[in-house]
Amino acid sequence: MADGLRLALVIAAKDVRAELRSKTALLSATVFAALVLVIFNFARDPTALSATDLAPSALWVTFAFAAMVAMNRSFTVEREHGALDGLLLAPVPRGALFTGKMLANLAFVAAVEAVALPLFILFFNVDLSRALPGIIGTAALATVGFVAVGTIFGAMAVRTRFAELMLPVLLLPFMVPPLIGAVQVTSRLLAARPLSEMMGWLRLLAVYDVVFVTLAALAFSFVVEE
Amino acid sequence: MPAEPPATGGYMVAAYVVAGTILLGYFLSLLRRAKRILKQRER
Amino acid sequence: MTGLSGAAPVVTLTRARAVVRRGIIISSIALIGIGVAAILALGFTPIEARQGLAQKIFYLHVPSAWSALLAFSLVGIAGGLYLWLEDPRLDLFAAASAEVGVAFAAVMLTTGPIWAKPIWGTWWTWDARLTLTLFLFFLFVGYLALRAAVHDRHERARFSAVVGIMGLLLVPFIHLSVYLFRTLHPQPIVLKPSAPSLPWEMLRTLLVSTVMFTLLYIGYVTIRYGIGLAIDAREQSDAG
Repeated sequence: MADGLRLALVIAAKDVRAELRSKTALLSATVFAALVLVIFNFARDPTALSATDLAPSALWVTFAFAAMVAMNRSFTVEREHGALDGLLLAPVPRGALFTGKMLANLAFVAAVEAVALPLFILFFNVDLSRALPGIIGTAALATVGFVAVGTIFGAMAVRTRFAELMLPVLLLPFMVPPLIGAVQVTSRLLAARPLSEMMGWLRLLAVYDVVFVTLAALAFSFVVEE
Repeated sequence: MPAEPPATGGYMVAAYVVAGTILLGYFLSLLRRAKRILKQRER
Repeated sequence: MTGLSGAAPVVTLTRARAVVRRGIIISSIALIGIGVAAILALGFTPIEARQGLAQKIFYLHVPSAWSALLAFSLVGIAGGLYLWLEDPRLDLFAAASAEVGVAFAAVMLTTGPIWAKPIWGTWWTWDARLTLTLFLFFLFVGYLALRAAVHDRHERARFSAVVGIMGLLLVPFIHLSVYLFRTLHPQPIVLKPSAPSLPWEMLRTLLVSTVMFTLLYIGYVTIRYGIGLAIDAREQSDAG
């Protein structure tokens, strides 16, 4: 068990190091996130819709699409270098492979979110002093869910011809429950509502994570088998 | 005296026509594809 | 058992033909049955006082939603069984069920707005059933797109099975999200024609329609499955 985890970390570290060297996925995703935030601001009528009303949706749409860009690029880069096939020839247990890939994707997406969040605070003028820990926690909870699904769908999409289109088409329906939950919790956090009002949504996020991380991990071996 | 129900017959007709078109259209498409693939005998 | 070189295995094509024929018979019976149900709905069922004639869309809308959900559930279940048993017939069935499901989902998603407009004044309501079926539609489309994009048959079967199972497990989460969303954002009170206090004539017509729609699902899937068998037979003879 501990061996598997160590192996997963090695795989994750390899991916992260490769990305740090080329930086393409992180860069594209970050620029994308910034652009989305800017567009959200200009696409709203300030007299009709206040920044705080729009803020949770803007933040989460940004996170969702930027995450997709990041996960897409990470698999495409790998395919271009044929790295996945090399890994499969080695006797790597598939569970560790999935965990490693997922951790790497989580690291990418977390990095993009970490850049997008300050931009969000800046552009939308939100006061996050009290809500920040809650927002980070919610972001972690929701992100784990859709990164798990994105990791396995990415592994499938990369074997198809229109990989860049296939991943969003498959993934977007699966992002909706974590997205709805995250937006609902975020808007309540920003309005400083009591925790009891968010419990239903937080439970939804947690159960989603448990179910889909497990499912994705189990199904991964069927996707990469030869 | 109970009020007359609203005159929504047009919508009903539209819905039945649309549903019928989709179901029959799909049926015809299945028939056409089946005929095309089953038609050729041994070459 | 192959026929002459270059010929499709005769046994398999013959079988495909028989399956398609059976499917056509079942579908024809079902289509006539739906015609009967429509006549029942239009001529022999009372008109609902608050909605008028548009309420009769209900007898198409609900059964088609049920067929779409049935189709999708079976795609997921067949996928799971395929991963376990590796029987290619399960994959063939799943592909057929997905395509047929799209047709029924399309009926539901078109009759829904046509019904909603006169009753609630808007073309689209984010109610639980419509929203769920919309998601089913997207999941079906994604599933079929993936199948079209993968060429190796074993890979295609495995990938489809994974997406099918995950999609099926997504359904309760969508339902729950919509439910939570609506209880926290109260929508205007809507009419509930499917409430238990349905007069028996309406219930009877609904049941007849539902049975016939289910039969149509079976018929269409049978035809589509037969087509799949024929495609397989041809691919195998082309390759061999």
